[in-house]
Amino acid sequence: MLIWARRCTQGLFLLVFILLFLQTEQQGADQLGYPVKVFLDIDPLLALATLLSAHALAAGFLLSLALAGLTVVLGRVFCGWACPLGTLHNLMGALRRWRGPQRVRGWFRAKYLLLVFLLAGSAVGLQLTGLFDPLSLLARHLALGPYPAFNYAANSAMDAVYRVDRKALTLVAEPLFALLKKSVLAFQQPHFAQGSLLTALLLAILLLNLSERRFWCRYLCPLGALLGLLGRWAQLRREVAEGCNACGVCDRECQGGLAASRETGWISSECLYCMTCDDACPKNAVSFGFRGKPAPAALDLGRRRVLLAGGTGLAAVAVSRATPAFDRRANPGLLRPPGARPEPDFLARCVKCGECMKVCTTNGLQPTLLEAGLEGVWSPVLVPTRGYCEFNCTLCGQVCPTGAIQKLTPAAKTQWRIGTAMFDRGRCLPHAHATPCIVCEEVCPTPTKAIWFEEVVVRDRAGQAVTVKQPHVDLKLCIGCGICEAKCPIGDRPAVYVTSIGETRSRQNQMLLDDPGGYGS
Amino acid sequence: MDRRDFLKDTAGTFAALTTLSPLLGAGPPARPDLAVVRGPSPERIVRAAVDALGGIRRFIAKGDVVVVKPNIGWDRRPEQAATTNPEVVATLVKLCFEAGARKVKVFDRTCNDARRCYVQSGIEAAARAAGAEVSFVDERRFREVPIPHGVAIKAWPIYIDLLEADKVISAPIAKHHGLCRLTLCHKNWMGVMGENRGRIHQRLDDTLVDISTVIKPAFTVLDAVRILTNHGPQGGDPADVRRLDTVIAGTDLVAIDAYGTTLFGLTGADIGYVREAARRGLGVMDLGRLSIRKFEA
Repeated sequence: MLIWARRCTQGLFLLVFILLFLQTEQQGADQLGYPVKVFLDIDPLLALATLLSAHALAAGFLLSLALAGLTVVLGRVFCGWACPLGTLHNLMGALRRWRGPQRVRGWFRAKYLLLVFLLAGSAVGLQLTGLFDPLSLLARHLALGPYPAFNYAANSAMDAVYRVDRKALTLVAEPLFALLKKSVLAFQQPHFAQGSLLTALLLAILLLNLSERRFWCRYLCPLGALLGLLGRWAQLRREVAEGCNACGVCDRECQGGLAASRETGWISSECLYCMTCDDACPKNAVSFGFRGKPAPAALDLGRRRVLLAGGTGLAAVAVSRATPAFDRRANPGLLRPPGARPEPDFLARCVKCGECMKVCTTNGLQPTLLEAGLEGVWSPVLVPTRGYCEFNCTLCGQVCPTGAIQKLTPAAKTQWRIGTAMFDRGRCLPHAHATPCIVCEEVCPTPTKAIWFEEVVVRDRAGQAVTVKQPHVDLKLCIGCGICEAKCPIGDRPAVYVTSIGETRSRQNQMLLDDPGGYGS
Repeated sequence: MDRRDFLKDTAGTFAALTTLSPLLGAGPPARPDLAVVRGPSPERIVRAAVDALGGIRRFIAKGDVVVVKPNIGWDRRPEQAATTNPEVVATLVKLCFEAGARKVKVFDRTCNDARRCYVQSGIEAAARAAGAEVSFVDERRFREVPIPHGVAIKAWPIYIDLLEADKVISAPIAKHHGLCRLTLCHKNWMGVMGENRGRIHQRLDDTLVDISTVIKPAFTVLDAVRILTNHGPQGGDPADVRRLDTVIAGTDLVAIDAYGTTLFGLTGADIGYVREAARRGLGVMDLGRLSIRKFEA
């Protein structure tokens, strides 16, 4: 009975997660219209890490307090009943038949130590929490790996049918394709760097369930650890009535891997509150309620281990920053999304949830690997040859859960400089090859175009005079959106390209005397 | 002469006069080459312009599948005058249905993100409300069309829905353009061209005329409700927009474009593709040789 109530609830939460995930997409209007990042908003780990690393309140800080409060009273019910990644773990675990008693290992402490490591790092500005936070992880990996792959599979299957070009087939397939496009497929096929790596990692995490059920939740999940600590004195407790004959069924069924049959074995911090033991107990002796004894088994992490984990977290900051990525010279290719904070603050906030990349209108936002240092892994960077920054679009700032990308008004967005475009005159058709073009000027979106041209008479090889319009960039007007680079007919290496110089967010990465950070009047 | 003969003769003379009147210069010509209509309501001026050309039934037959091809190319709002006025598009859709069209399709291969262009231009909502089937361009649905008289291009992939339609109505907006100075009717076909269109800018005038030799709309309505006088084809600065409350309708692309240039204080001869199209005999550029009916509605 209880188990079905739980499964239905889990299914519902997973469904909502997926629906919101699918809604994390440009719809044409300025606002998305759905609270697509609500799962990240309610996450107390992300809120706490942001508070520590950036001394700032995440957008969903209050919501996350609600979940924290709920956990203080009810324990890790979120893990057992709501977490979408937990539900996927349950589904994977169900692929195997489980017999006999489970091993109980001390390794469950690993997740608490990971939590201490992450939060110690956060306290001095290193934001690695998002890499391990289950909600951030699931959103990121789904968006960048399996979802594009799913789109590819569906699109290519439908394309194949379309190419066969049999009327009977097309009559069925095309309406189906239209329906899929409207419901679950992306508007255009997304492509992400490292997509296969991210898929493989997610798959690996899920496959761990074949070794032990909810492996991730038992040993690795830092959110689970935080909720465990919060739920240590939870009022909702497991109670065992008189009739218990220590048959061990509950041990075998336990999702959290607890030796629950022994009175001392049940630890509220480790219990996922899935309540399987309640259902499974042949004597009907196990139940959950608010009347149980207030002395749960202690959660002993070991002082030395905790200190070591914390110390490692602090040391990791120094280690990760003694790399060229943290040199004073700005990285020309690090085009951060519009509204991104200055790099140190940006890194202190970005939890690499991938929401901005999922929502990006043109697929231009891509995950970094090491361009932004180890702590910047999978943070967003605009790659104009993949997709430019749509002039009137403010979606990435809308979906960012931690304010790493600030929410910009449409007016502020159109003024925001991501970087600056410059011409490679050796490749530009009117500059080097006596051929008219000027596509860059046509697509340049600023009201007074940042790309202007000069009418010049040049000679071609035959000595014929050719009048061409040679493009130039007005450094004061260019916002670095990259549409010129994206649409340049010299597709492989465009004759105009954007680098980060002049970016609004930086005082240092400027070139002109009267740029912000300069001393011009 | 008895009464019957009198009536017969009068009727005969009347009939003769009515038929000959355009030649005799008596009364307005029945069918002008161009209808230029001005007025505060886009719907009314479009209707009046189409009526002046002989009414929608001259062009659209019962059961036709019609494509109305506006400019939805940019992520701009109607008041920014970078995309066709949505009311102009919706009125054309309504007219088609009034003439008994079976289906009216509206689409454009946009430059900015199509979803934003369709929504922000107001065209998707307006055309759909008028009953049109508004769809995004499906990149699979292009067919290479030979251009036998092409000067710059000998073939190009063109959108199948346009090729398979019974009738096409072109509904561009009059705008400034950096390379060819103005974008009018000819450039509207860029929105049905597939693949890497950017390359056509290398011989833009020739290419635009080449395409016009193979796409023949039933008629064209050039939207000049608002025109963009600078920083085209996207604009964005309200100072560059002028409200003219005008549409120009006709069947001769060259004539419409030649008239369109006058809205910007130019002549057809100032624009390369208009000159080229006239030279190739696709239409009449000399406004003096055209019958133009200009009125308010």
